[in-house]
Amino acid sequence: MTDMTPRTTRRRVLAAVAAATAAALALTACSGGAGGTGGGSSAPGDKDASITVFNGSTGTINENWNPFSPTALQPTLGVIYEPLFWYNLAETSDPTPLLATGAEWNDDGSELTVTTREGVTWSDGEPFTAGDVAFTFNLLQKTPELNTSGTAATAEATDDTHVTLTFPEPDSFMQEAQVLGNQAIVPEHVWSGIDDPITTINPEPVGTGPYTLKEFSSQSYVLQKNESYWIEGKPSVQEVRYISLDTADAASASLLAGEVDWMSSFLPGLDQMLEGNEHISYVNTPALTTSIFTCSNADLGCEGPQTDPAVRQAMYWALDREQLNQLAGGGFAGTGSPTLLLPERDTDWIADPAHATTPAGADVAKANQILDDAGWEAGDDGIRAKDGERLSMTIQTVSGWSDYISLNDTMKQQLAEVGIELEPTQLAWNEWNDNQVKGSYQLSLDSIGLGASDNPYYTYNGKYLSANSAKVGEQASGGNYARYSNPKVDAAITAAASTSDEAEQKAQYAIVQEEIVTDLPYVPIYINSTLTEFNNATVTGWPSNDDKYAFAASWKAWDNGIVLKTIQPAG
Amino acid sequence: MTFVARKLGFYAIALWAALTLNFLIPRLMPGNPVDQLVSKLAQKGQVTPATRHAIELLLGADTSSPLWKQYLDYLAQLAHGDLGVSVTYFPAPVTQVIGQTLPWTIGLVGLSTIISFLLGVGLGTLAGWKRGSWLDNFVPVTTMFQSVPYFWLALILLYLLGSVWAVFPLHGGYDVYTTEIGWNAPFVSSVIFYGTLPAITIVLSSVGGWMVGMRNMMVSTLSEDYILTAEAKGIAPGRIMRTYAARNAMLPSISGFAISLGFVVGGSLVTEAVFSYPGVGSALLSAVNSNDYALMQGIFLVITISVLGANLLVDLLYSVIDPRTRNRS
Repeated sequence: MTDMTPRTTRRRVLAAVAAATAAALALTACSGGAGGTGGGSSAPGDKDASITVFNGSTGTINENWNPFSPTALQPTLGVIYEPLFWYNLAETSDPTPLLATGAEWNDDGSELTVTTREGVTWSDGEPFTAGDVAFTFNLLQKTPELNTSGTAATAEATDDTHVTLTFPEPDSFMQEAQVLGNQAIVPEHVWSGIDDPITTINPEPVGTGPYTLKEFSSQSYVLQKNESYWIEGKPSVQEVRYISLDTADAASASLLAGEVDWMSSFLPGLDQMLEGNEHISYVNTPALTTSIFTCSNADLGCEGPQTDPAVRQAMYWALDREQLNQLAGGGFAGTGSPTLLLPERDTDWIADPAHATTPAGADVAKANQILDDAGWEAGDDGIRAKDGERLSMTIQTVSGWSDYISLNDTMKQQLAEVGIELEPTQLAWNEWNDNQVKGSYQLSLDSIGLGASDNPYYTYNGKYLSANSAKVGEQASGGNYARYSNPKVDAAITAAASTSDEAEQKAQYAIVQEEIVTDLPYVPIYINSTLTEFNNATVTGWPSNDDKYAFAASWKAWDNGIVLKTIQPAG
Repeated sequence: MTFVARKLGFYAIALWAALTLNFLIPRLMPGNPVDQLVSKLAQKGQVTPATRHAIELLLGADTSSPLWKQYLDYLAQLAHGDLGVSVTYFPAPVTQVIGQTLPWTIGLVGLSTIISFLLGVGLGTLAGWKRGSWLDNFVPVTTMFQSVPYFWLALILLYLLGSVWAVFPLHGGYDVYTTEIGWNAPFVSSVIFYGTLPAITIVLSSVGGWMVGMRNMMVSTLSEDYILTAEAKGIAPGRIMRTYAARNAMLPSISGFAISLGFVVGGSLVTEAVFSYPGVGSALLSAVNSNDYALMQGIFLVITISVLGANLLVDLLYSVIDPRTRNRS
């Protein structure tokens, strides 16, 4: 947008709304005709099919197509710009080559040579070369403001299809997923002319992805098919529109009205809602492990009974996860693992099958035994105590997260059975988050996010490495909110990071798992559902539980691009 | 003239106090913008200490400088009309975010408030003039709508008129599928169409208060001696109603109206949430959720100025409508 447009638009809008509302009352019978009749979807079998996506954005949308920016619009990554490889986190699989066709490390893990794909063009017609890849990584390296991943590699294009990334330290194998799978490649011929790559909103994005920007307004934007996309005949859907909705009510109403074709919202009573609606289907892809985060380390300043590993183990065994799933998870939650990995996807990474999954029901006898052995004795009011300290802990969650609030209430009852008192509190997101980062909490309900690839390194490094923690009161921005510190675990994670041999990595992770399943700084509850709803009237080929070709959620960067180029017009 | 000068002086001090509170309150909230952004990114993927470092650099978040210096910088920026850069919508400047959202809010809520006021005062005048007529039946009906919680009324109407009968659209400010923002007929009619239901809910829920207040003031005004005198002089009843009775009965409503105009900007959050209407309320909500100091301050500033401005305007207008307020002696 130029300087002029927003101002004139504003005046026009104001005038329009003025006219609008003045006339409003007289016009209650106004016949706009667009309401509720599925303005979003074109007729089935239409060659120019277009779909509407709700990716969770609320309120006014602000334009930002800068793939380096943390506030970039979500389709910037994966739909407009592409990475070198794509990692499917929905199932066990090898990385899919996109802009690269191969990548190889040297022996000491300091150099990564990438072979780039031939025959790819940018959406402005210029050819894509290894030079663009080198430019992207060098831009990152010399612009710390954009370097959110901390990638320190310098790059050099040796010819048009080969680029060598040189890392400052050897054994940089674990940078691979970040570099190959999590970095959008930008065109050198465009970005070398951008004066300030930090604050540009990149209003006319030039990418290699399956779609390009067609139009943008602060309430909706449209991407259109990239005619020169490098896979012949893809994508098949002509246009993709993204909209913004404020509430889950609005989302479910729009879904039923056929105005939205793809969205990911937890809608209570989904099955009843969809009864008799043949076009709408949903898929549940649990991926984020809901866990009780504990401030576990008294040495770093944590206070409370949860600093005793026995208390954490007792909580682990005393939870009736089946009941929790029914009462709080809507029956959609998946079974988690004490190793904090995903039991289905990560079977190969879980060393001891005994640690594969959490128990379904409660084992009250075992929990009681653990507490008895640790010296927690039953008190008069039914709550245990040890040396005058009552076994009572606060657990915080965010007000408005209704499923987590019911989790807390149910767990309070379940844990009371073994003499543990839980005091649920609800906080604003800001405060809840601040407490976790600074360690000023006893227990907190949160979930374990997705890593850059399915390698357990990304979970273990962030959640368990002592370097990613901090004293209570200081910010643990690395992610180890539990303040967990265990030299054995630290050594094993570091050792796993310094090899590209998966068997050796697995051996190291086995050490980590052996420690964490007894220490339990994060007590896993279940894998929270990720419900994604589709409308099959216009297009088919959405990801399903039988065909997890990509993570289905409409908010997932990178995977969006894969889904959008796989779906096909129906009929 | 001293009356105007005194008023202006008072409002200048009120403005300074508001600006200072505006600066302090967001900073008393827990958390800071950098952590917010880091934690939000962590939901979507890998976050390392490097992420935090990069975002600190990116936002230029210098929380280490002393508070008084931040305060002086803030005042200096305001003087230049610079409201800073929004964190939530980085790198968009706050003025741009407000500029995009404010017209929708003012258009919808402002006009609905005016319609509601005119309608309420008009009906109230008539109901007071013809006491005991069928118009009096409106009073309990409209006050019932006002006593129902607004969000509930809005949700019910949205469900009935949006989902069950599909008379009105479910969400948004205009038809994003077929129209483009601009001064063209399809867009304008679409804005009217999309704005109608939210406007109806606002009018329904607020018209009762105006009507009751106006009716009761009319009733007491009509028993004044000068009305009797006017009637005795044989002045046309319509003229008595408008010029003699209504003009005097309206005074309390006018000051109420000024206050409600001032709250137009801030009071629209629920409407916007229910109808997914693009406006300044949802921008404020996301600003609060992500500790976006600059955006919060910007929006609070707009609210403050509109409340003060509306009050000042009515204070000055009042002295025209009712000369008694000018001289205290």
